[in-house]
Amino acid sequence: MGVLFSYFKSLIGTREMRILILGLDGAGKTTILYRLQVGEVVTTIPTIGFNVEQVTYKNLKFQVWDLGGQTSIRPYWRCYYSNTDAIIYVVDSADKERIGISKDELVPMLREEELADAILVVLANKQDIPGCMSLKEVHQALGLDALKNRTFQIFKTSAIKGEGLDNAMEWLANALKNRK
Amino acid sequence: MYTLLSGFYKYLVQKDEYCVLILGLDNAGKTTYLEAAKTKFTKNYTGTHPSKITTTVGLNIGKIDVAGIRLNFWDLGGQSELQSLWDKYYEESHAIIYIIDSSDRDRIDDSKEIFDKMIASQSLQGIPLLVLANKQDIPECMGVREVKPIFNRNTHLIGKRDCMVMPISALTGEGIDEGIRWLVDCIKRNSYLRPPINLEET
Repeated sequence: MGVLFSYFKSLIGTREMRILILGLDGAGKTTILYRLQVGEVVTTIPTIGFNVEQVTYKNLKFQVWDLGGQTSIRPYWRCYYSNTDAIIYVVDSADKERIGISKDELVPMLREEELADAILVVLANKQDIPGCMSLKEVHQALGLDALKNRTFQIFKTSAIKGEGLDNAMEWLANALKNRK
Repeated sequence: MYTLLSGFYKYLVQKDEYCVLILGLDNAGKTTYLEAAKTKFTKNYTGTHPSKITTTVGLNIGKIDVAGIRLNFWDLGGQSELQSLWDKYYEESHAIIYIIDSSDRDRIDDSKEIFDKMIASQSLQGIPLLVLANKQDIPECMGVREVKPIFNRNTHLIGKRDCMVMPISALTGEGIDEGIRWLVDCIKRNSYLRPPINLEET
């Protein structure tokens, strides 16, 4: 009986998952969004404002918001926080100079009450560039070891080559299904 | 008056919270174990299917309520480059669960070496330790009799803390219950040394 009930509940409860793609400018957020949606690399220009697309992955519907990452528009990220199920935080692994800034954006964001239940996926992007930071270096540089009450996972990706995104989405889909 | 009543209510409802760190080499079955434990102790929870669990690079968390207290689990990645991140969690842990792949004879010595390094840490002195010989469902795996002597070799490092080696299968769920209950008793007994945290108050 309980099984039957939860089955019906799951039928009613299929709403779109709301996902934000965030990160500094030039990290590859828009490239990732369109990689996920159409599976191709599109030529992008710096995003001012946002791109929003519906992405279907393994029968789960995601509404994915890609917000512009330039310094002047980062304060507006918070306008999009409510009802967010997951955050995909994109880091340019080859940009060692600005990883500190990236951390400074991430840390206060995770303290926001509206994002308390959101799952975090960190994408260490641009892994195709030689000499880029390893997973461990990204982990440390972002200070992720201070995160103790949130499920998160880091993935190596190369949006240009399409590597690692599938793993990340698969993990995210499972984590979202599993959350309740 | 309201404060008094709400304070009393909170006192009744609030559970002591403790943190448990799950460690071990990569592919030992830490995440599978966490899912199995959550399934066992949470009503109406069906864990992630083991075939869908991938390598952890990051953190998985889980909460279970057992015997009047709440356990918060931290499941960390076990790959060698990630092991250096473990010690960031030691100070706040109330217990350690160390998971061994009993079917992997080639790496049992590696696992032991990492284990020694971990228990030598100052911030884990006196913290209860549950060693789980996982994957007992695999026919040719090492039994507890074989694993125990390997991990008990350095008694001076273990010292006075509670330490127990148990056989489990995270896949079938066998042995999980006993392990957690043993750990809960130890954590409670040890709470004078490391008192519970109460997240609400912070």
